[in-house]
Amino acid sequence: MDYRKINLLFKPKSVAIIGASENPDKVGHVIMQNYIDVGFSGKIYPINKDAEKVLGMKAYKNIKDVGAQIDLAVIAIPAEGAIRALDDCGKSGVKSAIVVASGFSEIGRDDLQAELVEISEKYNMPILGPNCLGVMDMRSRVDTMFLPTFKLDKPKIGGVAFVSQSGAVGSTVLDMISHEGFGLSKFISYGNAAVIDEVDLLEYLLHDDDTKIVLFYMEGVKRGRKFMETVKRFTQSKPIIMAKGGITPEGSKAAHSHTASLAGSAMAYEAVFKQYGLVHAKDIDDLLSFGKIFETENLSQGKRVAIITNGGGTGVLATDALYSNGLELAELSGGSAVALRKVMPNIVNVRMPLDMGGDADDKRFAAAMDIVTKDQSADMIMVISLFQTPGADSRVAATLIHYKSTTDKPMVVVSPGGNYAQVHNQMMESSGLPVYESPSAAARAMKALLDYSNYIRDTRGIYGKAQKRQK
Amino acid sequence: MSKTNAKVAAGKAARLLEYDKAASLMKRFGISIPRAEYINSKEGAERFAQDKRIALKVISDKALHKSQSGVIKLGLDSKSAGAAYLSLHAKAVNEKLSPFKILAQEMSEPGTEIIIGTNTDKQFGKLILLGLGGIYVEVFKDVSVRACPINDYDAESMLSELKSKSVIAPDSASEKRVISLLKKVSDMVVSNEWVMELDLNPVIMHKTGYSAVDVRIMV
Repeated sequence: MDYRKINLLFKPKSVAIIGASENPDKVGHVIMQNYIDVGFSGKIYPINKDAEKVLGMKAYKNIKDVGAQIDLAVIAIPAEGAIRALDDCGKSGVKSAIVVASGFSEIGRDDLQAELVEISEKYNMPILGPNCLGVMDMRSRVDTMFLPTFKLDKPKIGGVAFVSQSGAVGSTVLDMISHEGFGLSKFISYGNAAVIDEVDLLEYLLHDDDTKIVLFYMEGVKRGRKFMETVKRFTQSKPIIMAKGGITPEGSKAAHSHTASLAGSAMAYEAVFKQYGLVHAKDIDDLLSFGKIFETENLSQGKRVAIITNGGGTGVLATDALYSNGLELAELSGGSAVALRKVMPNIVNVRMPLDMGGDADDKRFAAAMDIVTKDQSADMIMVISLFQTPGADSRVAATLIHYKSTTDKPMVVVSPGGNYAQVHNQMMESSGLPVYESPSAAARAMKALLDYSNYIRDTRGIYGKAQKRQK
Repeated sequence: MSKTNAKVAAGKAARLLEYDKAASLMKRFGISIPRAEYINSKEGAERFAQDKRIALKVISDKALHKSQSGVIKLGLDSKSAGAAYLSLHAKAVNEKLSPFKILAQEMSEPGTEIIIGTNTDKQFGKLILLGLGGIYVEVFKDVSVRACPINDYDAESMLSELKSKSVIAPDSASEKRVISLLKKVSDMVVSNEWVMELDLNPVIMHKTGYSAVDVRIMV
């Protein structure tokens, strides 16, 4: 499939909602309400065989009655009817469709799914789904999801595309992302992947300028070899953070009945992920935690991490976390040690991890940051800022935000705690500084960033070139 | 869907490729295996063992999943080879392994045992595996896997991923040998899609080279 055709799903100028309804319990009602709520600027055509009007708009009995160009049809009626509706869409020249209905291959109705594929081919009409939530485009304000807006916090606009085979994982993660520091470019829930599959979607996102990184939840691929080839090119320009469901045999069985994925062995997936630079998230927590560091931080030049802390014990835990994740504590240069000795009080031991003491205020943080961010022997920086201490307040958060903007090194903050800490964490995160609740979460994310950085360093010469040749 | 994929999808039982064919395939791809021939008699075994140490093995479809300890004899010389042949033959008959053949194989220099294997995944096709061999592969499960074909980077990272890297490849010469062997095996299965599974277990890495002393190919 030509990936450019997928663009219609995200940037339609006209949308027909088949199954749009006045009844708030119907999926078609929620979808239409969402289109209105998010301020979609194109034309909306509700299709309902029994209604004159839906949500104040003129309704049509059949898509064939509309008599205008329709870029996208969202099909929100049960499977059997959906097939007839799709055929009508094809006959009326509708350019693309999203089928949210379930009741296809995932429950053994391969016949219905085959019909759907046939219609897509016959009319050359790309179809997303079935058994999916559809898409959300933060910029064009398209939202085909049938989840009421009041139940789900919507993320802000940003550079992260989130793709989920499962609608359930998709919507919960979406809700959670809205509380993270990063924003979304697009959300895609693609369900059974009958026509548009993960390879098509990746190809599309590779060429999407709004997307800088991809978070992906997948249960299985449809075209393994093609997937490998696509991912190999993709990861050279944008990272993919992948959570794969069905790693255990039992989980794989559950996934099979869930979205009708063809399971390959878990070992094969892990091998392919590693081989082509996919960042492997073990679970949804990883997905979000890794997403945060990849969205804001540069690639790392190496594994030496400088730790600056206003709490000794947390510095010890952080050091352990580095080494258990294959990272190392940076050894500061002689020049840095001399400079730090001049600016730190006598009670501070000038060595890594740099424990500045519980009374460290913004000035002491600034003095340390000034020296450590410039030290060539540190590749990454972890700042532990415990807001429970007397010296730490909003000025410390502001100081860290400032120094973040002065350095190219990946930098993260560790700040566990309650409401007071959370206020500052949000302040820092919304300024593009990733904050973690624990040293181990931070170290895991830094390791993921390092692995990807190393992969790019080692393969740019091989796969980077190959990509250029193909252009 | 290719024939091979159809076979995988249908879950068809694979069968063991005859030793001669497996051996000639190995040779064609430059994979070094010990000199070997089928033996039909006590005298044949003694002749083959002239001036060297040899191993005798029963080759049979039925001996595939058995513990091989009973149907293999190692470290034989021209004096012991004849008796070993007779006892192996009797054992094979006794255990109803017919049809079977007895293969005599030159013993490799001693060294570190590694395992290299391939199989065919439904989604990703040919996969290749590297690990420390012998009894350790099952115990420590210290293995690395990649999808074929692999390049230098893949082969290097397979090796460096292993905890046992310094045991398998203690110096740069042995590292190069492992990498080159991995690539040859990958090339072999990629250009021979009908090879469903391959086990080189063990490959003996010794001071000056290596020897794939046991080759098992399922088609």
